[in-house]
Parts: sequence; C-alpha cells; structure tokens
Amino acid sequence: MFAQTAGQLPEAGGIYYTSLLMWIILVPLLVGVGIYFLKSRDSSLHKALSLFAALAAFAGVLALLPLVLKGSAEFCLLDFMQLGLFFKVDLVDWVFAFLISFVWLLATLFSFVYMDFEHHRRRFYSVLIFTLGATLGVVLSADYFTLFLFFEMMTLSSFILVIHEQDQGAMKAGLLYIYLGLAGGLALLFAIMLLYWQAGTVEMMPLLDQVKEYPTLIFVLFLTGFGIKAGLVPLHIWLPKAHPVAPSPASALLSGIMIKTGAYGILKTALVLYQAPPGQEAAGYSSYLFNLGSGLMWVGIITMFSGAVMALLQDNMKRILAYSSVSQIGYIATGLGTALLMQADGAMGFTGALYHVINHAFFKAGLFLVAGTIYMYTRELELKRLGGMFKKMPLTGVVFLVCAFGIAGIPGFNGYASKTLIHDAMLLALEATGFYSIKAAEMIFTLTSALTICYFIKLFRGVFLGPVPKNLDRQYTLALSTKVVLGTFGAVIILIGLFPDFILQNFLTGSALLLSYTGPVMDHLYHFHFFAWPMLKPMVVIVALALAIYFTGDRYRWFNWQPPFWLSIEGLIYQPATIFLYNFTGRAGFALDRRVDQSYLGLGKVTGRLVARVVDFEGLIDKLYQRWGLVGRQVIQKTAQMDEGLDRFYQKSGRAAKKLAEGTEAMDSSLDKFYLKTGGAAKKLAAKTAQMDESLDKFYQKTGRGAKKLADQSARMDEGLDELYQKTGRAAKKLTDQAARADASLDRAYKKTSKGPRLLSEYVTGLEGLLHAFFDAAGKAARKIFGQRRPGGKDEPGPGEGEER
Amino acid sequence: MLSQTTIFTLQMIIVGFPVLMTPVIVFGNRVSEKFRNALAVMTAFVTLVLTLSLYPFVRDGKILQKSLFEILPGLSISVRLDLLSFSLAAIAAFVWFLCTIYSLDYMAHEHARNRYYPVLIFTLGACQGIFFAGDLFSLFVFFELMSVVAYVLVIHEQTEEALKAGYKYLVMTIIGGLFLFFGIIIIFELGGTVSLGTGAIITEKSLLGLLAFLCFLSGFGMKAGMFPLHVWLPDAHPVAPSPASALLSGVMLKTGAYGLMRVLFDVYAIDLLLESGWNIILAVLAIITILLGSAVALTQTDIKRRLAYSSIGQLGYVMLGLSILNNNAITGATFHIFSHAFMKSALFLAAGAVIWKTGKRNVADLKGIGRLMPVTMGSFSLAALAMIGIPPLNGFLSKWTLALGALDAHIPGYVVVLLVSSLLNALYYLPIIIPAFFENPPGEKEDGTSASRDLVIKIKEATPVMLVAIVMLALCTLFFGLTPRNLAFALSRAIALFFVGGGA
Repeated sequence: MFAQTAGQLPEAGGIYYTSLLMWIILVPLLVGVGIYFLKSRDSSLHKALSLFAALAAFAGVLALLPLVLKGSAEFCLLDFMQLGLFFKVDLVDWVFAFLISFVWLLATLFSFVYMDFEHHRRRFYSVLIFTLGATLGVVLSADYFTLFLFFEMMTLSSFILVIHEQDQGAMKAGLLYIYLGLAGGLALLFAIMLLYWQAGTVEMMPLLDQVKEYPTLIFVLFLTGFGIKAGLVPLHIWLPKAHPVAPSPASALLSGIMIKTGAYGILKTALVLYQAPPGQEAAGYSSYLFNLGSGLMWVGIITMFSGAVMALLQDNMKRILAYSSVSQIGYIATGLGTALLMQADGAMGFTGALYHVINHAFFKAGLFLVAGTIYMYTRELELKRLGGMFKKMPLTGVVFLVCAFGIAGIPGFNGYASKTLIHDAMLLALEATGFYSIKAAEMIFTLTSALTICYFIKLFRGVFLGPVPKNLDRQYTLALSTKVVLGTFGAVIILIGLFPDFILQNFLTGSALLLSYTGPVMDHLYHFHFFAWPMLKPMVVIVALALAIYFTGDRYRWFNWQPPFWLSIEGLIYQPATIFLYNFTGRAGFALDRRVDQSYLGLGKVTGRLVARVVDFEGLIDKLYQRWGLVGRQVIQKTAQMDEGLDRFYQKSGRAAKKLAEGTEAMDSSLDKFYLKTGGAAKKLAAKTAQMDESLDKFYQKTGRGAKKLADQSARMDEGLDELYQKTGRAAKKLTDQAARADASLDRAYKKTSKGPRLLSEYVTGLEGLLHAFFDAAGKAARKIFGQRRPGGKDEPGPGEGEER
Repeated sequence: MLSQTTIFTLQMIIVGFPVLMTPVIVFGNRVSEKFRNALAVMTAFVTLVLTLSLYPFVRDGKILQKSLFEILPGLSISVRLDLLSFSLAAIAAFVWFLCTIYSLDYMAHEHARNRYYPVLIFTLGACQGIFFAGDLFSLFVFFELMSVVAYVLVIHEQTEEALKAGYKYLVMTIIGGLFLFFGIIIIFELGGTVSLGTGAIITEKSLLGLLAFLCFLSGFGMKAGMFPLHVWLPDAHPVAPSPASALLSGVMLKTGAYGLMRVLFDVYAIDLLLESGWNIILAVLAIITILLGSAVALTQTDIKRRLAYSSIGQLGYVMLGLSILNNNAITGATFHIFSHAFMKSALFLAAGAVIWKTGKRNVADLKGIGRLMPVTMGSFSLAALAMIGIPPLNGFLSKWTLALGALDAHIPGYVVVLLVSSLLNALYYLPIIIPAFFENPPGEKEDGTSASRDLVIKIKEATPVMLVAIVMLALCTLFFGLTPRNLAFALSRAIALFFVGGGA
C-alpha cells in the first residue's frame, strides 16, 4: 500500500504531492539543532534564528491552506527506517498544524523577553524550536508509524523544557513526565504493531473491518498512549506537576498545544480508524462502537469534572491552569466520545471537540502567558502572596479576563461556541438513544462548567483584586512584544467569540465531511445559530449555578480543603503500582539472580565436598600404605638388627680369631724362648760334657779302648750340637736385624716431627719480627699523631672565650 | 568477480593473519611501544578490509563450503562462507578495529600492555575462525580457543575481583565447552556428519536429538548469557578493561548467538523444532533472560555492571527471535545482533572513557558528567536511547521487526515482554543520562548570576582517538536505524529468507 501511495503523482484526484510538508518539519528541527551548536554569549542571534524558524513554519502551514481546501497534500520518504515516512495533510490536520505554528510563533515572541530573566537560554531556544518541528510532525503524519516517531521525539525534547529550572521539583516532575511519556509511547507502539500485523498498514484510515483480533485492546492501548499525553484522568498525574514548573512560554505550549497532540491522536483513532465501514457492514459494528464511544465519553466526563474540582482546590496560579487544562481536555474527549457513539451522525460532537481544541489553544496559552507575565515581574505564583495586579498591569488584567470569559463559555467569547456545540451534541445523543447515563453526563457537564467559572473567579480575585502586597508595590512596564502577544490572544478570542460561524462554516464543516459525516446533523450544522435562545439558555443556567456555588463555597471555605494524599490518584494507583513494579521486577529479579548465582556456588560446594570425600579416600589409602610401610620398616629394622647382630658376631669372632692368632704368636714366642732356654741348657751341658770328656779322656787314657769308642760317640753328638748352635745363632741374628730396622724408622719419624716445630718456630720468630716492626711503626705513628694533636688541641676555643660571649 | 579459490584464500588469511601477527606484535614491543601498537591497529584494519572484501561474493547469494582435510570419515575441518558468516565476521572486525584504536589511549597507562595487544589480536583471529568454520567441530575448536584466550582479557587487571571473575568465567567456559563437545558427538553419531550447510542433519524426533539440542543450548547459551548460565557475565564483563568489555559484550557474546543460529538452521530441521516444541524451551529461557537481565540492571549501581546486565537482557531478545523461527523474527534477531553490537560497544567505550577520565564508576556519581564530557555522554545517550528503542535509532527497528515476528507467530505475549523490557531499559538508562546533562557536577558550584551558567563549566573530554571510536559506533546506531539503504537490515532480511524462506 505504501508503494501505491508513493506512486501517486501530484494533482491526481485532489492530492498534492509536495515536499513542503517535509520542510515545514525539517526547518525547525534543523534550526533547533543549529541553535544549540551556535555558541554565543549574546542570545540575539538565537532569538533571530528561533523567530525565523517559527515564522518559516507558520508561513509553510499557511501556504498549505489552498491545497487542503481543495483536497490534501502528501509527501513520503520511502524506505526511511525501512517502513517509510508518510506525511499527509487534510483539513483536520491543517487546523491542528495552523494552531501549533501560530501559537508557537506567539509564544516564541513572548519568550524573548521572558527568557532574559532566565538561565540556559541557548538550550531553551534550541529545544523550543526543535519541539515545534516534532509537534508539527505529529499532526502532519499520514500513518501511525510516522506519528509515533515524532511523538517520541516530542516527548523527549519537551522533557528538556519541563526540567528547564533543574531544581528538585522540576527534576521530579520531569522524570514522572518522561517515564509516563515513554510508557505511553510503548502502549502506542503495541497498538501500532497489532494494527500493522492485522491490516498490513498503519495508515490513519478506516481499518476497523480488517482488525479481527483484539480491536478493543488496540483501542484501549491507543487511548492510553494518547491519553497520557492529553492528560486524561487517571493518566494525567504528570500534567499538574510538569506544566507549572516549566518556564511560562513552555507551559503555554505544553498546555495549549502539546496536549492537543494527544487529542489529535484520539480523534484520529476514534473517528477515523474506528469509523464503521460503509454500507451494510456498519450495522454489525453499531453496538460495539456505541460502547467504545460511551466509554470515551465517560472518560471525558470524569476528566472534566475531577480536573475542575482539583483546580478549585489549588492555590498556585499555574497549577490551577494546569488542572484546568486537564478539565478542558475532558470536554474535548467528551465531544469525541459523543461523536463516536453517534457514529455516522456524530458530526456535532466532532465539530464541538475540534472547535474546543482551537479555542482551548488560544485561551489556555493566553492564560499561561498572563501568568508568565506576572511571574516575570513579580517572581510570584502563589495566590496568597499576590493581589491588586489589575491596577499595576491593566492590559494583563484585561487579557486575563478575556481569556477567562473564553474558558468559562460566556457568549461573545470563543469558548462559548465550542461548549455550546459539545453540549448540543450531548443533547442530540440523549435524544437519539434516550439513555439516562447521557442525561447524567449532561448534568455533570453543566456542573463542571459552573465549577470552571468558580475557579476563575478565585484566580481573578487572588491575583488581580484586593490590596497589592507591599513587596510588589512598584511600577511595572511591559515590553512591547509582551503587549503585542497578549493583545493578539485577546483579540483572537473576542473575534472568534463574536463571529463563531466563520470557523465553523469555513473549516469545521469541511473537516466533518472529510470524516464522511452525513445526514440531518450536517444540515443542522450548516444552519447552526449560536446566539439563539435555546443555545444561550444553558449558559445562563451555568453562570447562575457558578455564582451560587462560588459564594457558598467561599463562605464556608470549601476551596481551601486539601485532599489527603491517599485520596489522590497518585496515592491510590501510581505509588502502589511503582512499588509493585520495583519490587516485582527489580527486587525479585535481583533475588532470582542471586539465587542462581548461589546455586552455582552451592553446586561448587557440593563438588568441593565430593572432592573432600575423594581426598578422604585417598587419605585412607595413604594410611594403608603407611601401615604397610610401617610393617615393611619393621621388617627392615629387624633385618638391620639381624645384620647388626651378625656384624657384632663377626666382630666378636674376629676378635676371637685375633686372640687366637695372638695366642699362637705368644706360643710361638714362648716356644722360641723355650728353644733359647734349651740352647743355654745345651751349652751348659756341653761344658759339663767337655769337663766330663777331659775326665773321660783321663779315664780313657786310663781306660783304653773302651774310652776310644765313647770319644767317637761324643764327637758325633758334638757335631749335632754344633748344628743346633748355628740354628739358634741365625734366629738371634734375625731378631737383632728387626730391632735395628725399627730403630732406624723411629729415628726417621723423629726427624720428620722435628721439622714441624722447627718451621713453626721459624714462623713465630718471623711474626715476632713483624709484630716488632708493627709496634715500632705504630709507636712512631702514635708519636706523630700525638705530636700533631697537641698543637691542634691548642686551636680549640678555650672555655674562657666561650664565657666571654 | 572473485573465484571460490580466492575467497577461500581470503578467508584463510582473515583467520590466520591475526593469529600469525600475535607473536610479531609481542616482539614488536622490542622495537618500540608505538611500533607494536601500530602493528595491532594495522592487523585489525587489514582484517576488517579483507572481511569487507568478501561482500561482493555473498551479495550474489553464493556459498562457499570447502573441506580442508578429514579427521574421521565424515568429520573434517572445513571452511564456509555464506551471508550469516559474512555478517557476523564483518561486524566483529568492525567493532574490533574501533576497540583496538580506542585501546591505544585507554591502555596507555595500564600495566601489561604487551600482553593485552597480542591477546586482543589473537582473539580476533579465533573469533573470525568461529564465523568461517564449515562444520560444528571446527566451530567448536575456534570457540574454545577464543573463549580460553579471552580469559586473559578478563583478568587483565589482576585484582582479586578480576581473578575471581576470571575463574568463574573459565570454569563456566570449560563446562560449556564440554556440553558442546558432547552435543557434537551425538550429532555425529546420529547423522554421520557435523558439516554445516547440509540442510538439516537431524530431521526426526529422538531423545538423543533432544539431548544434543539441550547440550547446544547450554554450550552456546552459556556464551550468550542465557539464563541460568549467565552468572559469569555480570562478573567478567565489568572487570575487564573497557575496550575488552566492549568486545566481550558487543561481539563475543554474539558467537554464542551465532552458534545457536547454526544449530537451529543447519543441524535441526526447522519443521522438527516447531513440531516437537523444542523451540519453546529456548523461548521460555529467553523470556526469563530478558526480564531478569533488565530487572537486575535496575538494581546495579556500578555503571559497567549495569551495562553487563543489560547485555544479558538484549541477548535475550536475539534468542527470543530465534526461538520464534519465522521470517520477521529471524530478521529481527539478526538485526538485533548488529544493533546490539553497535549500541553496547558504544556504551561500554563511553563508560570506559568516563571511568578513564574521572575514575567514577558509580551511577550516582555521574551527575553533570555530560557537561564535562559532552561528546562522550552524547554518544552514550544516543546508544542508550537506541537501547530503549526510541525511533529512529536502530534499536527500535530491531524491536519492531522482532515484535512483528512474534505477532506473525500469534503470540502477542512476546510483544508485551519486549515492551516491558523496553520500559525497564528506560528506567535504568535514563537515570544515568538525565542527571548527566541536567544536574550539576559535584564540586562545580553555580555562580549566582544565573544568566552565564552555560559557560562556567570547563569541558574535559576524552582524547580524540577514543572519541573517534565512540562517536563512530554511536552514529552507527543512528545510521542503521535511519538510512533507507540499510545494509545491516538488508543482510538480516536475506539471512532470514535464506534459512526460513519467505513464509510467515
């Protein structure tokens, strides 16, 4: 389908293909980025660029008017982000685009003076202009995907406007804003995905018959996503926090314009996307759409009422205005809901809602700029500390009154026209269906309108009437641009109020035709008389009711009641939800993660224990080995002992052998001695024998022959004896030889040992000499030193000299 | 046109060159530190250029599958190049190159630089080897090689914390590797081959087949940070030096996802997975991973730990996409691999630059840092917004495509998971970005004259070399979301078409 759209050439069937659409968005975006990088101490360059971009966008939108009156303008960037970006402007889109660029221009002009009192001006102008591009992108987009892109861009960039002050309150409000904004974005994204999946396209056109699954979910998701931005109850909680903390021109745009992008989205979803298919099929969707429509209407009714009540209870000027915005968005949602439940006959609700979008943009932006003007000069927003400003700033007071009359719906001012249309639409719905619920809604509508007047009386009295506080009692001179901007807002409100038909007949009926509204309601619209009595009557009732409520309430001090925290939406829904989310996701996730980690550690521990067991087993084996080892050692020890025993035995036996040997030796020597003794005895015997021989000789001689025989025998014995003598002589000689040898060796040993002492004594004498020499030298040196020292000592300062000092 | 042989040679060079350069880089330090650094950068650059030069081949839808040599009949070391290999190899080489450049300044004052650079380059080679492997066995070998060598990067600081994390990493890696090996053995037993590109090895339901599937899930899932095997990741990634963290989170995690893709597409028949419902196992684990990663990131105060948990969640997206197994989902999953590589590397490098410059790691201390380091934190913000899924950044495109895939499978619940996770991403990234730009740095006193507040704070940026890497990656998140001629998206589409066909 994208390719088809892209293929359509200029001027085919009332569709104008023009890149102007892209430039309207791109110029502010680029200039916005450019301002940020143009650093200069003087901000006039930034102002000039901002004004240029705002003017360019405004001029571009104006240039589109001839095209949208005849048909529509389209443009696409194919394949951009793979899905392509598609832009399309018809009359409905143009009304939004015009409002955005016009009010933005005025607010930018206003901010020039306002921001001179502020810091971070470069960032402010940069973001302000960038946001203009993003916001225009939202309403110029042809499909939800493109819309979503710019929607997110707008959320992020306007966040910087919200937190501009960067104090704690602004940061807190900003965070709430961005988190809810992103959550809304995600809801939108889910809806867009579901739509794309089923229809194959996300173009903003009637697709109800293609959405077979989850149509209600898609509707609710869209409503949530856009509702957060628009500030529908109970999704509004960021709005009264974020709008007041922003700088006033930004608050004016946030409240006057940016919440309308939410309304734009709801409008496109409820009245275009969920348009009943033409022809026979329509009947099948009738009751379904009626339910959706009444749901939306009731959301609107609740929003308008609770917004008004909360506004009445505030004491801060900008907070009242912020809650008022919530309330007024309720009107728009009510109008859209009525249009949806009436289906083809819903033209009245649609025109009323669209008209209120226009009107609210003017009076709410005007009111915030009035608040900004007062804050700029007084630095005060609390009603209790303001007063009497009408005298000090009359023009501001007049513009405030005009805007207040506009918002209150006083005939002659613009709000009257749109409120009348919405009220009339409800009456028509009541007429068509006859449901009491619609009657009840209509009564709440009346009550809310009365409450609106009440909180503006409170606001006006607080700021403009009464005595001027002393610290604020001085002369105030408004800058020309401030006067021009405020004057323009006042003039526009009065002009629309006086000529309500102009916008209705030129733009709104044409828009209604685009949404294929037909039938008698359209005729009714063509001939609508705003200033006829049936239309004026409800307003009279409302004003009367308002006066009654205000004076009663004021008397009994109803408006000073502060609702306890638990009763607020924040206390009832958001805080528990946040706590739940944090506990459920953050803490539970963290706990789970820890548990997993710990389970691994546990597994590790188990493994560790297992390993320990194995170690134990190993220890057991080890012990076993040790025991075996012990046994082995014992065996070895025993063996060793045995060995030792054997050794000892050997030693003993050795000793015995030695003794034996010694014994043998002793025996030998004793034998020797014995032989020697026997030798001596033999000699004696020989001597005795010789004596005996002589005597024998004598005897022989005496005796004769017998004697000669005896002599022979004796000679023989003599010979034997001689031999014996020789033997013993040899033994004796050996003995003496050995003794002589031992003597010689002993002699040598003595000689050797005597050499050592001799050397030692030689050394000692040498050392003695050295020592002598050393002592001599030392003595000499000492003498020298002492000899030198004595004069050195004389140089030392004497104690007497020290005392002198 | 390049012939098959040329392509094959190129691939061998892409894997071999960094590995061969590793010792050269080690010895390059002897010449001079600058020479060594230049060598490292040159190696990464050459690898990047060569990898990109494969593009014309895969653009025409050609496939290269070549067996080098057989180990066993049917089990051979082989090489493969197709769209998927190319995509992963290209993104890895790109991020590696930027991280190497970034390291030049980041590591200049660190210790053990001569260990860091060679390991960095070696892991590049191993990583490319994973992507070019032509069969599960070769893939496994390179997978283990990369994982084990990356241990050195994890423990670089050598603090007690780093060593402990490294120990955990190593133990888990080894266990994961064993699972993989077991799975490969089963596949080889069942199918007689572990080669990729055979269509499907396992086409029939069997208990062993399921066992192998679970083994692969554990082995690759461990690397990709899948619950409940993610526990090593939040310890290991933050302790590494920042460029290494960027690579661990930006690229090396993807090897796990790549392995899973190969298992889902080349090992098992897709019909089998869908019929038997085995993909549901992956889906359930992926959902838990997404929610857990995002939720736990909320509770972390250390910026790098927060980023690490975010990685767990983001890889969950990829696994969820893979489990859905239809065209859009696979496109989304593949594109998210690209997206996450750019986003997370940019985030880690930017966080690293902040830590390098100021030493601040705690999220609460980063107030006003965006005014001191506007370029670094600007890039960080861009990447973080992409993480949240803000259009027109690339993170949005991947989530969008993934969600369409989930819807095509008629499971809107998955979309809710994605969206809740996006919201959680916002909840943990915005408290870093917003105070960084809109609160005052501690110690920087506001002067009374509010008008000149813009100009009081002096900018203290990181070095240009670091900024180049950070800004390039951050711009990639924008470029690959915005551009109409989105190469990464076209590749993802082609891959999905190639593996699961055009049907829903």
